[in-house]
Amino acid sequence: MPPLQYASLMDTMARMNLRADASRYFFGYIWWVLEPLLYVAVFYVVFNVILDSRRLDFLAFLMCGKLAFIWFSKSVNQASNSILANRGLVGKINVPKTLFPLAVIQEGLYKQVTVFLLLFAVLLMYGYRPSATWLALVPIVGVNYLMIVACSLVGACLVCFMRDFSMVIGLMMIFLMFTSGIFWDVRALGDPAKTELLLAVNPLAFILDAYRQVLMYNQAPDWLHLGVVGIGSGAVCLIVGRAMHRGNQFLARRVLIS
Amino acid sequence: MSGADDRRVMLQLDEVYLSYHSSKATFDHGVHRVLDGVSLQLFEGETLGIIGRNGVGKTTMLRVMAGILAPNSGKVSQYPGKTSSLLTIGLGFKPDLSGRDNALLSAMLQGASKRQAKGYLEEIKAFSELGDSFEEPVKTYSSGMRSRLGFTTALISHVDILLIDEALSAGDAQFRGKAEAAMKERISGDQTVVFVSHMEGQVQKLCDRAIWLENGKVAAEGDTAEVLAGYQQLVKQAATKS
Repeated sequence: MPPLQYASLMDTMARMNLRADASRYFFGYIWWVLEPLLYVAVFYVVFNVILDSRRLDFLAFLMCGKLAFIWFSKSVNQASNSILANRGLVGKINVPKTLFPLAVIQEGLYKQVTVFLLLFAVLLMYGYRPSATWLALVPIVGVNYLMIVACSLVGACLVCFMRDFSMVIGLMMIFLMFTSGIFWDVRALGDPAKTELLLAVNPLAFILDAYRQVLMYNQAPDWLHLGVVGIGSGAVCLIVGRAMHRGNQFLARRVLIS
Repeated sequence: MSGADDRRVMLQLDEVYLSYHSSKATFDHGVHRVLDGVSLQLFEGETLGIIGRNGVGKTTMLRVMAGILAPNSGKVSQYPGKTSSLLTIGLGFKPDLSGRDNALLSAMLQGASKRQAKGYLEEIKAFSELGDSFEEPVKTYSSGMRSRLGFTTALISHVDILLIDEALSAGDAQFRGKAEAAMKERISGDQTVVFVSHMEGQVQKLCDRAIWLENGKVAAEGDTAEVLAGYQQLVKQAATKS
């Protein structure tokens, strides 16, 4: 399939999914912002009202981390199951199997644009002012996107190979939610070595922290670290994407027969 | 029938084997041979019928021909530059989307560009006779309306080799007649077709040549009437046994 047609098909699939999704609910497209906001509200009640966070800027802090995290976790979760979910199509046409996860990711990307706009609005309301440093968001969002694609492709292969991985991926997302510093500050662990280690081991914690550094403290991210995460994710995308391209029929067989 | 064929071979299967382990089986127990050394040639412009009972590997064979599945061993060779597509009713409709959106998506999945697909839409609307329902969500359709939409969308696709899997059971008697006529028109032209069915009547009517598949093997091949005669005998035997 020529790249342009691939892209146009992926985009059409994503838009159709969005439209179908919106028509299913009474609040339709409003859920794009309502769902993330409700997540934020739940976390706010638990970690600021019930357990005192002792931060005045907790809402901004929480939103910077949580909204980016939901983008990651929802996309990876859904994209991982997407080939299996489309097994009816897989049995009828020979399409590149990467199309299914990428369409799901594209769908998430459209929603996330709205969510980020909402985040900016809230930050402005709380008195945070955009500066030139905010331009660093472009590479940060780009690397975040690459991480989503890399994890989704790997996840989709694993689920095709063994459906049980779907369970494991769901659990992994919960694990990541607790270990990526969403409702607690990676920089306030008390031991700088521990912070270093966590940021090095968990790229998601690094990315969420980078969002905060830029948006809340006007601090540029650690470019070298960001570059390494970006190149690493890009490499995984390329390698797994190519493997999926070569093993297109193998994946179909796993989905259809096993 | 063979020998004299100087027509171009569009698709060829050589000793194709396809088997899989049924789930949770250990070692060589539970190996299921779906295709067991199938060889065949498909010539340009012909309509080849494939007949056989349920579960003898007809759909799997079409999937191998369409390139959806790769065989465990053996060779599938297609004439360079030719495309083949499996025509099946209802490429996984999304019930919440309108008939129009579903048709657009199906046409694009079958290889049309977005502009081409949009160009087909009015044709699809007219042929399927869905009228205003074309703009309604597919979840409101009756099963007959669904298959009309599916058949029409599939029919519009333009491919060199058309692989048809039991496609003619669409809609009510009136629409079925129209569908069969449209299908015949496609088939009688230069279109190369592989037509799979367990309905002998359709194979008899539409196919130049037939292959009878039994337990993943080619049981007979050649003139449609002769192959069908053999097949009917087997079906009768099976019926008297049970």
